[in-house]
Amino acid sequence: MTTPAVFANIRWEVTRLVRSRRVFLLSIPPVAGPIGSAIAFLYFHVQYQSTALLLGLLVTGGLSTLVMLDLSALSVGEELSRRAHFTLFTLPEERWAMLAGRVIVVFGASLAVYALGAALVSVLAAELVPATGGSIAINSSHLIEGVAVMLLFLGAVTLTASIITRSASEALVAGVLSAVVTVAVAGYFLLQGTLTMLFPAVLGVAAVIALGWSFVSYSDLES
Amino acid sequence: MSTEALLMRGVTKRYGTLDALKDVTFTIKQGEAVGYLGPNGAGKTTTLKLFSGLTRPDAGAVSVAGFDILHERQKALTRIGVLVETPGILPYLSGTDLLMHVAEVKGVPLNERMASVQAAASSLGVKDQLGRTLGSLSTGLLRRVLLASAMVGNPTTLLLDEPTLGLDPAARADLRVTLKGLHKKGTTIFLTTHLIDDVEEVCGRAIFLREGQVAGDEAVSPEITGDGATGAIVVKTLDQVNLADITGLIKPPSAAELRSEREVVIRFQGGDAAQSDILRALVTGGVRVLGVSPLGPDLAARYMATVGRQEAV
Repeated sequence: MTTPAVFANIRWEVTRLVRSRRVFLLSIPPVAGPIGSAIAFLYFHVQYQSTALLLGLLVTGGLSTLVMLDLSALSVGEELSRRAHFTLFTLPEERWAMLAGRVIVVFGASLAVYALGAALVSVLAAELVPATGGSIAINSSHLIEGVAVMLLFLGAVTLTASIITRSASEALVAGVLSAVVTVAVAGYFLLQGTLTMLFPAVLGVAAVIALGWSFVSYSDLES
Repeated sequence: MSTEALLMRGVTKRYGTLDALKDVTFTIKQGEAVGYLGPNGAGKTTTLKLFSGLTRPDAGAVSVAGFDILHERQKALTRIGVLVETPGILPYLSGTDLLMHVAEVKGVPLNERMASVQAAASSLGVKDQLGRTLGSLSTGLLRRVLLASAMVGNPTTLLLDEPTLGLDPAARADLRVTLKGLHKKGTTIFLTTHLIDDVEEVCGRAIFLREGQVAGDEAVSPEITGDGATGAIVVKTLDQVNLADITGLIKPPSAAELRSEREVVIRFQGGDAAQSDILRALVTGGVRVLGVSPLGPDLAARYMATVGRQEAV
């Protein structure tokens, strides 16, 4: 029995995550996120569950962003900067399948651990902060979705940068800068009272464009 | 199946303003072992990258086993095993990780995968090293593991770029034996190297590359015995050779041919006795013989005559 190309590359990326021990990074959002948030709830005497949830989601989202940036930068950038693609590109497989395998693992894992962290934060907010109600600037369910889309966007931008620069470290810098700009723009809209779901929708479209460009460019990449 | 393992027709490849290859044309038949020789920057690695789909030609056609590398890339790559330059590695992966992935992508069935990996590793003497991380291997061992990855799945053609680089003498000799064995079994071998004796030992044909163009394409061991002769020797003399004197001393059908000021090639019929008679005739005739050696391929001399000394580009 032979393996379809995408599955072979999913296995390859999982092997890389495990052997490089980067897999342990995935424990950060669902462990450090909720624990850090819980400490913050208690230390700051957070009054309302909605405020606690907001705080916890921002902490977990921030940690998930770091994981997403790191894994995205290394998924392609490491092979290109180390010239390991001299071996991998000569194998009889489509480049889109190579990239798809890596993207599925990296994006899937980063979003999954964010979702797990967000779920745990919700539980802790309910357990540790009894009072319901309170007035917050962002709807928490919108924040959960918005952060997820932002993670996708930043992952796509970092992936694109790693293909352009052929360097994981430069891609990581590009990803961090993108994250700073994204958060700054979101903060500006929030202060102006104009932050709506249009913002993550635009990020989502940009992510799709970046991913599409990455697949086309990766397929045409010459050594 | 095409009888042409590798084909390059009118290929030009430019890097910016530099012409790496200029209108290169050659064919390598199934089962041939060909050495591809040239100085640094002549375009050897570019040629290998073109055959392995790592780069595209600016003009001309490149095909592997009859499949165009641009339009039927996957079919072409299924036929070949490649070791390009010094590929990078992911140091935390083990040899098994890499070779199993290669086997999987090359379509080796799951139940045969480990056997295929171990067979390739065994042929290069690195079966016991597969469990180690690539980053912990010495240069020579790493090169052998990477070579093994090219051999996984029994490709019909091997494209090897300096395969003996970094190997100790024993490992180099072992690799030559392995390559000769693969060639005998019908594997096509395309070997780019600076080491002419590797080509002399493994290959039957040599292509010389000079400034991105094919400067020579010839048999590694040209017919050393011509005109009915069965043997040929190179006689080195103390004094300058006088070809007329030597021709007068040896009996036809033996024939002498000047090789250099103090070297003469003598072709003769017969075995050791005939060779001994010729040498006696030379010595008694007053030729001060310094040494005698059988006429070999002497690819190095032909390479220098064809390519000459060149600045690397």
